[in-house]
Amino acid sequence: MSTLKVEDVSYSYVNASGEQQVLKNVSAEFKEGKMYAIVGESGSRKTTFLSLISALDKMQEGDIKYNRKSLRKIGGSEFRLKYVNIVFQSYNLIKYMTAKENVEVAIDFDNRKVDANTYLKQVGLSEEEGGRLIGKLSGGQQQRVAIARAIASNSPIIVADEPTGNLDEDTEEKIIELFKDLAHKDKKIVIIVTHSKKVAEHADKILRLRRGELS
Amino acid sequence: MKDYSYELSSSANSADLDVVESKNEGAPGGGFGDGMSGMPGGRSGNSSDDDSKLEGDITISGINAYAYISGVQNETFTIKDGEYFDEDSNDKAMISYEFAELNYLKVGSKFKIKNIYTEKEIELEVIGIYDTSEERSNANAIYMNIETAAKFLGSDDYKDGKYNVSNVNYYMNNSDKAEEFVEKVNADFKELSENKMKMAIDTSEYDAMSGSIESVGSFATTILVIVIVAAIIIVTLIVTINVKDRRYEMGVLLSLGAHKRNIIGQIATELLIVGTLGFVLASISGTFLAKAMGQGILESQITASTQQSERNFGRPGAQVGGSSKSGGMPSMPSMSDTGGQNMKQRITASRNQDIKLDINATPIDFLLLFVTGYLVIILALILPSVNVLRYQPKEILAGKE
Repeated sequence: MSTLKVEDVSYSYVNASGEQQVLKNVSAEFKEGKMYAIVGESGSRKTTFLSLISALDKMQEGDIKYNRKSLRKIGGSEFRLKYVNIVFQSYNLIKYMTAKENVEVAIDFDNRKVDANTYLKQVGLSEEEGGRLIGKLSGGQQQRVAIARAIASNSPIIVADEPTGNLDEDTEEKIIELFKDLAHKDKKIVIIVTHSKKVAEHADKILRLRRGELS
Repeated sequence: MKDYSYELSSSANSADLDVVESKNEGAPGGGFGDGMSGMPGGRSGNSSDDDSKLEGDITISGINAYAYISGVQNETFTIKDGEYFDEDSNDKAMISYEFAELNYLKVGSKFKIKNIYTEKEIELEVIGIYDTSEERSNANAIYMNIETAAKFLGSDDYKDGKYNVSNVNYYMNNSDKAEEFVEKVNADFKELSENKMKMAIDTSEYDAMSGSIESVGSFATTILVIVIVAAIIIVTLIVTINVKDRRYEMGVLLSLGAHKRNIIGQIATELLIVGTLGFVLASISGTFLAKAMGQGILESQITASTQQSERNFGRPGAQVGGSSKSGGMPSMPSMSDTGGQNMKQRITASRNQDIKLDINATPIDFLLLFVTGYLVIILALILPSVNVLRYQPKEILAGKE
């Protein structure tokens, strides 16, 4: 069984007030086939934690291991390319491309020949919507494109930062089901940072971050 | 050797014809400009000491080809009526417009003039009437082929194909081989030096023209260096701005797992594609431009050279005419029979007729263009690449950069 292990990870940064300890000896274990929700009040460093497990940022202490392979050895780029994909709160889509082209970027990284519309359909977007430029889509549609891109990357770990923040209730429901299917049917590790109680309720396990400590 | 020309000069008189009064005192009598330009009234090619005092009013100018008349080469000579003579136009002559007007002659008219040595009258037919814009021209100069002109010499040897020539010019395709040619001629025809004949090389026109082009070449090299440095700076600037503009896109790609080397590779590929298109266009346009510019420079240099020649026209000592005692000159090998003194055979590497620059870019030139261009691209990529290497996806996507 594939496992993502966070072992005594600490993270700090230096600002005008001096060194700020953000995360302190955080440990957790995420297993394939399960959906995890990380909750916590604003400023609890949920996004920082997400950045560390998705290799967007570097931890100062501790280690993150996927199937006993250390992230430090794998390297950030390689880890993001092969093992993890991120759904950003602000979507981070390439604006001069269409929705379909954004999804194709992730497929191209994997050198697979798959129709991007397959993934767009999974998140409820039609082919016509897939052909639109990102700027011509609503916030909710953009969020779905970001999710489609994450699914398309075929990574075993999907990390999402407030993925339903901009979605209406119906779409939120569909997206939650989609993440659950990714975890339960596709046997991926799904980690969602959320404020939404509804999303948290659907998670297999809820982890709470408080003042940089995970419980 | 590209071509050669030889000239024969003499003079004649006529009791029936009037001569045009000279506009310029001391104007040159000959029409060739090279060999005979300094000789008032023209003179016999085989004059003896006694003969040398004989001088006719009409200048006889024989040349193997009309095109080598100096006025034709300087483009100051035009045919007003009729046509020019050639090797087969025996007993036919070209006369000046003034001479024709004065004596009521027109194309097809026949007139008689007297050999000043033998007093024999020779009938000539007007084949063409010329006009010249040269200020110091001799309107009494009559042009004809060598065989006709030889009839005005002091002996009948011309009937056996033996006569003197006053000036021989060899036109070389390659000035580098002029020395070699002179050495070979001196070695093969030892009688030249025995008869005090002199072979001389004159590459001044060629040197003047090539010097001008070489100076442009040197200037172009300086420009090239400046352009290369400017290109590196400009392309660096453009790529840096482009990379900055695409920072967000690069952040997204990095967050999806793209390696920085892939992103630099993508920028390099885009530049190489655009660069290659540019180099191909530059190769095509550059070849045409080089031809046009090179020919332009050459033509302006020819004009300057011609004007200089005209200024030097008739200058004492500027050109050496000459005479020889006897000899045959219908073709170059028969020159072995030619005797005489002070004969200067002038080798000119280029003339202002038929001069065309052969500007062709070789595959090595194209290779150099492409290699230099790609080097410019590689150098211009250094700074933007350093920027890319500094990029952190999280900071870009968080808008901190």
